[in-house]
Amino acid sequence: MRLHGFQRLIPYLFLLPGLLLFLTWMVYPLLRALQISVYDWKLLPGQVSQFVGLANYREVFTDPIFWSTLRNTLMYTVVTVTGQMALGLVAALLVHQAVRGRIFFRTLYYFPVITSWVIVSLLFKYLFDSSRSGLINYLLVAVLHLLPREIGWLSDARAAWAPIMSLGVWKGVGWSMMIFLAALQMVPLELYEVASIDGAGGWRKLWNVTLPMIRPTLIFVLVMLVIGGFQAFISIYLITAGGPMQRTEVLLSHMYNQGFKYLKFGYGAALSYVLAAIIATISFLQIKFLRRGVEV
Amino acid sequence: MKSRRFFALFLVASLLLTIVSACVAPAPQVVEKVVTQVVEKEKQVEVVVTSTPMPKQPVTIVFWHAYNEVSPENEMLVKTLIPAFEKANPDIKVESLAVPYDQFRQKLLTSMAGGVAPDLIRSDIIWVPELADIGALARLDEIMPDFEAYKAAVFPGPLSTNVYQGHTYGLPLDTNTRVWFWNKEMYAAAGIAEPPKTIDDVAAQCAKIKALGEDKFVFADGGTYAWAVLPWIWSFGGSINDPDITKATGYLNGPDTVKAYEYLLKMIQDGCLSPSILGGGVDAGTGYAQDIYANYIDGPWMYPIYQSQFPNKQLHAALMPAGKGGSISVVGGEDIVLMQQSQHKEEALKFLRFTQSDEYQLKMAETGQMPVVAKLVDTDYMKNHPYYGTFLEQLKTAKARTPHPAWTKMDEILTNAGQAILRGEKPVQKALDDAAAEIDALLAKK
Repeated sequence: MRLHGFQRLIPYLFLLPGLLLFLTWMVYPLLRALQISVYDWKLLPGQVSQFVGLANYREVFTDPIFWSTLRNTLMYTVVTVTGQMALGLVAALLVHQAVRGRIFFRTLYYFPVITSWVIVSLLFKYLFDSSRSGLINYLLVAVLHLLPREIGWLSDARAAWAPIMSLGVWKGVGWSMMIFLAALQMVPLELYEVASIDGAGGWRKLWNVTLPMIRPTLIFVLVMLVIGGFQAFISIYLITAGGPMQRTEVLLSHMYNQGFKYLKFGYGAALSYVLAAIIATISFLQIKFLRRGVEV
Repeated sequence: MKSRRFFALFLVASLLLTIVSACVAPAPQVVEKVVTQVVEKEKQVEVVVTSTPMPKQPVTIVFWHAYNEVSPENEMLVKTLIPAFEKANPDIKVESLAVPYDQFRQKLLTSMAGGVAPDLIRSDIIWVPELADIGALARLDEIMPDFEAYKAAVFPGPLSTNVYQGHTYGLPLDTNTRVWFWNKEMYAAAGIAEPPKTIDDVAAQCAKIKALGEDKFVFADGGTYAWAVLPWIWSFGGSINDPDITKATGYLNGPDTVKAYEYLLKMIQDGCLSPSILGGGVDAGTGYAQDIYANYIDGPWMYPIYQSQFPNKQLHAALMPAGKGGSISVVGGEDIVLMQQSQHKEEALKFLRFTQSDEYQLKMAETGQMPVVAKLVDTDYMKNHPYYGTFLEQLKTAKARTPHPAWTKMDEILTNAGQAILRGEKPVQKALDDAAAEIDALLAKK
């Protein structure tokens, strides 16, 4: 069918609203941030913002807090991505096998995903309260007698990662389970039958049939979760606010502080571009080296 | 083919538009010019108003404060004071907005960036230098013809928090300070007769309080930020920077400040200072009510809180225990400032003047906000007040935190140094040397 005149315009008219939203809320802020990042940016309209070239970017690499936040971000990403993928896969395999109550378990595991980050962050903060009245401390000390005294979950720089990371894993498992589950349902049953005839046991089938068949999905989930890990902010901001002594600061919370705490918007924007470059590089490398002939 | 070209053209055009708008928007201008522009605009408006007497439309001014939405302060403001003002000034409507304290600064900055700042704000005294520095505030000493009279009426201490680089940007709205709360019930149980007069008396309580139980503490506070540690530093005779605010070296790492931190370190090592100062444990106000903490320091707002949360527990106030520097606490409170972006400065100033009236100050005093107008101290209301006495006495010697635009960063450096010291991660002298060097760099920038 050939379209004529106005008819040919119609598809673009339908595309227009989405495109406008995309331009207004994504492209414009991105370009504006790029511009801000090369200025000593003044907040108030009408004030002189001085052009400083790449000075903000140079400051990023000489800022000791940037390097410690980068380390923290990497550590958070490694731990939470591994946790989410491993537990998500286990949950998906179990739910996939479940004869009865599959929908129930699927919903149950997916539930944390749809909860609000703000609410569950505050909830975890209370659970891990440093005093005796915190539920985790109460369980560990008074009920299970595993510890002689309470742990200062939020006041100890190392212990503070426990609530942050466990929240990150708990909240994300459902999402990776859902994606894995969809992939598992696509694996042809004949392959398992053939494997059985060849004498393969359960582990063998998992290793030689299931995992290779869902490989593209594994890579997809890995890439998405790593991006998500680098963008961790709400939980950290609300649970520890980067404390104690900025030891739990991550890239995004550091960036936020530069802008809204110290009014260094130019430096904050430069940080955001460095962060974007890091994420883009890592994602590119992941896809390049892990893809091996399969489409992601 | 054609349609694809059309689409590509469209995309390029919109991208170009975006880029152009992004680049055009900030149009670098010279600050002085903008200021004069604003002034000119105002003059024009004045001319228009006087030359064509139109039927008066009520002007709405917006006032932001951080009173709790459901609090006696907010209720007094919204139900009594604003209606009284509007009755006296029928051509002005006051829209009051309660913005939670932790979101206040960010929300204000965002609204200013968008050019829609409120007309007046009740600002934490410590934000004024920073807001003045970025050009957000109008200079009251320049735009208010009767400013001198108002300036003369208020306490000089709270007034000083409005001064930045030779200009006065606001007037104090309420004041407060932290005093020593001593736990009568725990004192009785431990056999301590009276609240400590000196810092050494506090240390001497250690053994007696610890005898009550391992989980009892002599003193508690919520962290190592300036608001918490400054009363100790100043009472020890120390300070964090020189009077001219040019350097911290020689002050923050001077012998008296070092002694103050060594004292706190010893207290925590002896188990007499609660780990709440490291961010753990029961918070100070609650621990006092639960007889875990024998002493803590806090402000007058705790009385209404105790009345509602711990009605069976009494707060007993005394002056901060004295050291070599005397009994020195930290001045808190809020100022009322006029935003430079306000389109209704004349009307806003009318409300600002109203906040300095006896009526406003005394009504707010009923809700726990200490007045700033000097002559009110001699009124029967203040003389017979159940708890303002100790605070007024403490205010005579209390000092304000460093009025500097980089204060937020300075406070963070101080907080981190305090944490490193009390966690035993750095020796006291080393931690303070490092912090002083960092603050020196901040102060040198301006």
